[in-house]
Amino acid sequence: MKALDITVSPAPHCHSGARITGVSYNFILALIPAMAMGAYYYGFDAIRVIAASIASAMIAEALIQSVLRRPITIADGSAAVSGLLLALILPASVPLYLVVVANFIGIIVAKQCFGGLGANPLNPALVGWAVIRITKAWAGYLDFDLALINYETGFILQYPLAVLKAEGPAGIAHFGLMDLFLGKQAGGIGSSAILCLLVGGIYLVLRGTIRWEIPASFLLGVVVIAGIFWLRNSSNYASPIFHILAGNVMIGAFFLSTDNATSPVNRWGMVAFGFCCGAMTVVLRAWSVYPDGVIFACLLMSLFVPLLDKMKKKQLLPPAVSPVTPQAISESAEVRSAS
Amino acid sequence: MGLRSFFGILPPKLYYKDVSAPIEALPVPEKITLLWYRRTHSDLAVRVGTKVETGQDLARNGRGPFVSTVTGRVEEASTFLGVDSREYLAVQIRADQKDSFDPSVTSVAGLSETQPQTLRTGVNRAGFTALRSIIRDPRVWPTVDCLIISALDLDPFSIVNQQTFRDNPEQVEAAIELLARTTEASQCVLAVPDNLADIASKVSTGAATVAMVPPVYPNGLPEILAKKYGAGLLMKTYDAGFAGNTVVVSLEHALAMVNSLQSGRPMLEKTVTLSNGQDGKLRNFRVRIGTPVGEILKRASVEVQPKGKLILNGIMRGYSCFSDEQPITATTESVHVQSPSEVFFFQNTQCTNCGKCNSICPVDLEVNILGRLSEYGIFNKCRGLGVENCIECGLCAYVCPARRPLVHFMTLAKQGIKTVTDEPANMEEALACTACGPSCPAIRLFDFDTESDKEDSPKV
Repeated sequence: MKALDITVSPAPHCHSGARITGVSYNFILALIPAMAMGAYYYGFDAIRVIAASIASAMIAEALIQSVLRRPITIADGSAAVSGLLLALILPASVPLYLVVVANFIGIIVAKQCFGGLGANPLNPALVGWAVIRITKAWAGYLDFDLALINYETGFILQYPLAVLKAEGPAGIAHFGLMDLFLGKQAGGIGSSAILCLLVGGIYLVLRGTIRWEIPASFLLGVVVIAGIFWLRNSSNYASPIFHILAGNVMIGAFFLSTDNATSPVNRWGMVAFGFCCGAMTVVLRAWSVYPDGVIFACLLMSLFVPLLDKMKKKQLLPPAVSPVTPQAISESAEVRSAS
Repeated sequence: MGLRSFFGILPPKLYYKDVSAPIEALPVPEKITLLWYRRTHSDLAVRVGTKVETGQDLARNGRGPFVSTVTGRVEEASTFLGVDSREYLAVQIRADQKDSFDPSVTSVAGLSETQPQTLRTGVNRAGFTALRSIIRDPRVWPTVDCLIISALDLDPFSIVNQQTFRDNPEQVEAAIELLARTTEASQCVLAVPDNLADIASKVSTGAATVAMVPPVYPNGLPEILAKKYGAGLLMKTYDAGFAGNTVVVSLEHALAMVNSLQSGRPMLEKTVTLSNGQDGKLRNFRVRIGTPVGEILKRASVEVQPKGKLILNGIMRGYSCFSDEQPITATTESVHVQSPSEVFFFQNTQCTNCGKCNSICPVDLEVNILGRLSEYGIFNKCRGLGVENCIECGLCAYVCPARRPLVHFMTLAKQGIKTVTDEPANMEEALACTACGPSCPAIRLFDFDTESDKEDSPKV
């Protein structure tokens, strides 16, 4: 046969047009309202942290990839997204060197050492945050009550969850639920803008960028477990609504726990993952020394992802290989009619 | 191509085309090429220069007959490597314009009273690939629980069965009756796409129930029809025997079977749909089996541009050929021509674990894991995850944002399971599929360090 000068490739011969960059850019688009809210309340300081965080994440990725002689993939936007997510859960006053250190550890140790995008067992932004949180000398920068002391925003600059931890439900009576919902609460640059995050999260769900099972079951987990605590003893534990509207729950449900690489992909695995994240959040809030537990819950549950991904119906396997004989054929017919 | 909605929460849908195109008959070409997979102990019964008649069996000791579709003289018999890495024989026959039929193929007399076994022998003798895989020996016949006659097509760009149903609704009843008797199936289903409901309501289907199928890919694939409307698994020959108990026959093949049992002539002609990505127009052609694709392209005045693509059997499951001399076989459904700008290239990127492939997979496989395992040659684990159930519909690769060649990985794993057990020494044999030559990313991984590979690797 005479060969023509044409292209030959395996099936299928068409594509839906989806790209990896689409995921990252949708994330950034969905986070713009929360970023704007942070910039509105905390001014230049917030922009400074966001810019430094995105830049250092991208630089860290380019640097480690050029050292390891791998293709440089900062154009796919995944490093920018993890830099942005880290910035949004930090207070606006955090020193820039901390942002850079957290991003370098997150990107290099938690992401690129495991093989880059898709192969990382833990979300790099969360690892970066956890490094700051558990380092004794730096942990103070994440105390929102101290960090936001010099800002004038027009609402009470007390971190609701820290108040809950210190004073119990009696202390949080002066936080209006509507104020919390509209983002008038102390917290991270973007993580306190609950309404903006909800809008962005719903956008991501509708676009198919994130899988809806995870945020839905995350919020359900928070409501159910917080509800159990609250119904048993409402003088010691806050209501489920307060738990959803305060702290990192909204950013955790829609943006932190839904990272593709660190969440399961099978339906019941996703539901279990989200529910356990939510449950763990409330448990950590109630019984740990930390005021908020979302990030540690997400990190912990990410470690269970390979196990949760096994929650799937087993495939029916074809029979073992053996030579074909008429007996084998009639036997298989008998087995079928018997079953 | 596919319609991708702004809201991606629901997976993209590929609709079958709802168009009618008259079937245009092409004359017998000067030269035809017939393909034959030579098994052990079987051989060609003809030589170069032998004169053959239409319907003559060209093989000796083959599993089914190797039917000549024209009268003429054998010009060449050469081997070539098929896309499934098997070695095929290509027999070229210079065709006379007038057919003289081989007397050994005779019509089955008194069709309505004939025994099933006689019918099966007749169908087998007429060389039907549609049933050949299960008619190895007409005497040893497995129990068929369900027979599905499908008026759906295999590919979104093919309208062959649809058109056959539009043109010959009155013949459907006879086909159902005869096939039900041939296969001795206890249940009989006629699968019709939703858009042809008005024709289906007028057709008398005898013993068969009518299943209205939404015209969305992959509902027309035999495996999906068997799962949704039949008795579970599709009957296919695994190496150990038969699995499943549903037989799916396309309407075109069913009508051809009735025809050949009545007239005593084997299936000589095949209808194919020609489409191209540029104007999106579909045209149907009826050609002699063995006609080179180039003849159809010439008749339709469609040209394959340099660096473009010529695809046989559909954009989702088909294969791209390197030559326009590739012949139409009894199972070719469509011919699709792509211009260089439409050609889609896979990328050598790693899985981002987004799970799009898992959620769209019609047989519920863990495609994300399977793709990675197959990429690194861990075929025994692929078997445990059921990679052999993959029907290669192509939807996983269609939605993959990382643009990984997922279907190719599945094929590689299936082939690997066949040829290797666990020894890495046999890996090269497993990878010798050559379906895509140097463009295969799986092979690339094993010699990733060579300089040429570094230059070829895609830039992001």
